[in-house]
Amino acid sequence: MLVMGAAILGPILAPYDPQVFHPAVRLQGPSITHWLGTDQFGRDLLSRLLNGAPSTIFFGLGATVLGVGAGSVIGVIAGTAGGWVDSVIMRILDGLLAVPELLFTLLIVTFLGGGMGQAMLAVAIAFTPGMARIARSSVLSIRTREYVLAAVARGEPSHYIVLREVLPNAIGPIIVESTIRVAFAIMIGATLGFLGLGAQPPSTEWGLMVAEARHFMFRNAWTVAVPGVAIAMAAMGFNLFGDALRDSLDPRRSH
Amino acid sequence: MAGAPIPHAGVRKPVLEISGYSLSYTTQSGPLHALKNIDLSVEHGQTHGLVGESGSGKSSLAWAILRYLPDNAIENDGGLLLSGESLRDRTLPQILEIRGRRVSMVFQDPSTSLNPAMRLGDQLSEVLIRHRGLTSREALEESEAALARTGIVKPREMLRRFPHEASGGEKQRVVIATAFACNPELIIFDEPTTALDIITAQQILELFNQLQDETSISALYISHDLGLVSRVADTVSVLNAGEIVESGPRGEVFSNPRNDYTKALLEAVPDPKHWLGISEPPPGTPALISAEAVTVEYGRQSRIGQMLAPKPTHLGAKDVSLTVHKGELVGLVGESGSGKSTMAKVLSGLQEFDGTVRFGDQDYTSLKKIDRDYRRAVQIVFQHPDASLNPRQRVREILSRPLKLYDIVPPDQRAGRIAELLEKVRLPAEFVDRFPHQLSGGEKQRVAIARAFAAEPELVICDEITAALDVSVQASVADLLVNLQEQTGTACLFITHDLNLVRQLAHRICVMQHGRLVDTFHRDDTERSDRNPYTRALLKAVPPPASQAV
Repeated sequence: MLVMGAAILGPILAPYDPQVFHPAVRLQGPSITHWLGTDQFGRDLLSRLLNGAPSTIFFGLGATVLGVGAGSVIGVIAGTAGGWVDSVIMRILDGLLAVPELLFTLLIVTFLGGGMGQAMLAVAIAFTPGMARIARSSVLSIRTREYVLAAVARGEPSHYIVLREVLPNAIGPIIVESTIRVAFAIMIGATLGFLGLGAQPPSTEWGLMVAEARHFMFRNAWTVAVPGVAIAMAAMGFNLFGDALRDSLDPRRSH
Repeated sequence: MAGAPIPHAGVRKPVLEISGYSLSYTTQSGPLHALKNIDLSVEHGQTHGLVGESGSGKSSLAWAILRYLPDNAIENDGGLLLSGESLRDRTLPQILEIRGRRVSMVFQDPSTSLNPAMRLGDQLSEVLIRHRGLTSREALEESEAALARTGIVKPREMLRRFPHEASGGEKQRVVIATAFACNPELIIFDEPTTALDIITAQQILELFNQLQDETSISALYISHDLGLVSRVADTVSVLNAGEIVESGPRGEVFSNPRNDYTKALLEAVPDPKHWLGISEPPPGTPALISAEAVTVEYGRQSRIGQMLAPKPTHLGAKDVSLTVHKGELVGLVGESGSGKSTMAKVLSGLQEFDGTVRFGDQDYTSLKKIDRDYRRAVQIVFQHPDASLNPRQRVREILSRPLKLYDIVPPDQRAGRIAELLEKVRLPAEFVDRFPHQLSGGEKQRVAIARAFAAEPELVICDEITAALDVSVQASVADLLVNLQEQTGTACLFITHDLNLVRQLAHRICVMQHGRLVDTFHRDDTERSDRNPYTRALLKAVPPPASQAV
């Protein structure tokens, strides 16, 4: 909640301009004037953090939604169709999964060029094979349940079976996985920023903040810790949110 | 023994004595009372049967004796005495010493109670090494002897196998051998035959009685099956909702029950002499549906697949021909893997097959040819009430689906029809707004039956619909089915492993074994001596109803 609130209100609440240099107050620890201290250019870290919240969260959510969406569609198709369609799709996905996610992302970014949008798309594409695999296995386990068999025996059209009988019951693992993925996406985004392939300075994207502050890590750990902790909190927040979402979607738990 | 007081100290204390013991679990919605004021004792060399339906607390009691309770368990200060020594004030290391050495347990499902990654011999000798201090060589020899006592033909070979290389009956024999291995004071059997096939279960039961005679070990035999308990126990307690409602010597409890619950339980046990079914359709009634030489091959591959990596196929059903007449109830009986569910899938249009299914004057020769008319006319009810209803749909949506799909009634009359259906299956009308998880097992099964009858079918296939239910619920579901049949004239193919139950309902009975139909007979001919040997073996293996077993 805190993180989401920061994401929406952050830029308004920020006490200082996140981009203006104040060489006089470089690398300060937390104080009353600068609650979370300042960075190497004397910029207020709290302001930068709040300012960066929307883009960071947006990056994580956007990449995940795209990746989960594409992955789920592919996985559901593979799981429902079965037979050679399933075999072909899964062999391709196996091949893609063999490439480490970060490497895969870098590859795509090289194709698409640097920048926030491109990085987001790259992360989404890198997420797709894994999500497809999860969606497929979830569909497969639901597909042999007796209520689905009952629907098949009734002669229900296949779109009804997939959309009303299988999907609502298969969605749990997909949701849980995707909330974990948001955190991953934020971190990969940070990594890309670090390598200069994602968000570009002077953006206040959190990963980039970690990257920029790394040279001062030993002199002033605050500059790294502040955005780092923020990323961790965002990740944890999304995990808890995912748990709650799954519980509220499941009729067995919501009563 | 109780009559004459013996002056010297030779009166043995009961092996297990439970007095005034209560147990509850704290849950989010308040305390859940699992056991209330339990008094129970197992005398030396005796078998005490503990009968109860699911949720009665019988497994909680077993765990309490073994001192293996979850953190949210709250006990009162009732006594749990093993040969006069309290189990309650033992420390964990002492309890670990007692488990397996002085009290051992045999679980329901041998396939989950054995470690799949360990050879059977290692699992058995591990207990001997730990509790009797044998060397591994001695333990192995002792294991072999123990297995031989349980009737395993080649014990040495069995010791080298992994659990997946043994059959269910063999695994349960290993588990039993392990339980007996350290000659414990008490063995707790928790439904040891429920997961096994009829004939295997019978053999395990015989083994139990034989070992009991040889070793005069004391046993607490937990089961939901009154028929079984009547064949093994010396004394019996009946557990209902955490309370022992009746206990006493076997003969007394079974022949002269005093408690209403015990009476109801005994009455609910299927008894072939007690006919429940509807009157038989007159001779000459036309056939409704018939399977002709139906064969099902599992694991069939495409031609390319066969060339690349040929895998053996396996026949789920071979040349099965059976007929159901209009208004008739045909029982289809067999053990697990006999192909009876395969036939259910073929007839309900879920499984590819070779051969012909004739329905009315229409012939269907493959899965693809099965059309909507057929699917409307033939409905299926599945075994597991928990799995046969979509957990995310309310009862209203579940029941309205067939009405909508087959256009049984116009949309504005659907709500009324759903209410009628619920009434027919004896459920209150307000259940329309419930989700499946808010219903009990029996209620769910009623909804599934209502869904099948909503399509106004001509044949309802019931695939083990009572197998997952408690005895008393099972009786009422069977009764309901017969009642609906009477009202609607629908024919029924009733698939079950319970011969006693099917003999109460079916006009004709078909027996399947290893994918083949081996016997078909009219119910009047069940006991004839020229029955197929397999049928006779099955009949012999079913526990006689409790009322006769005294």
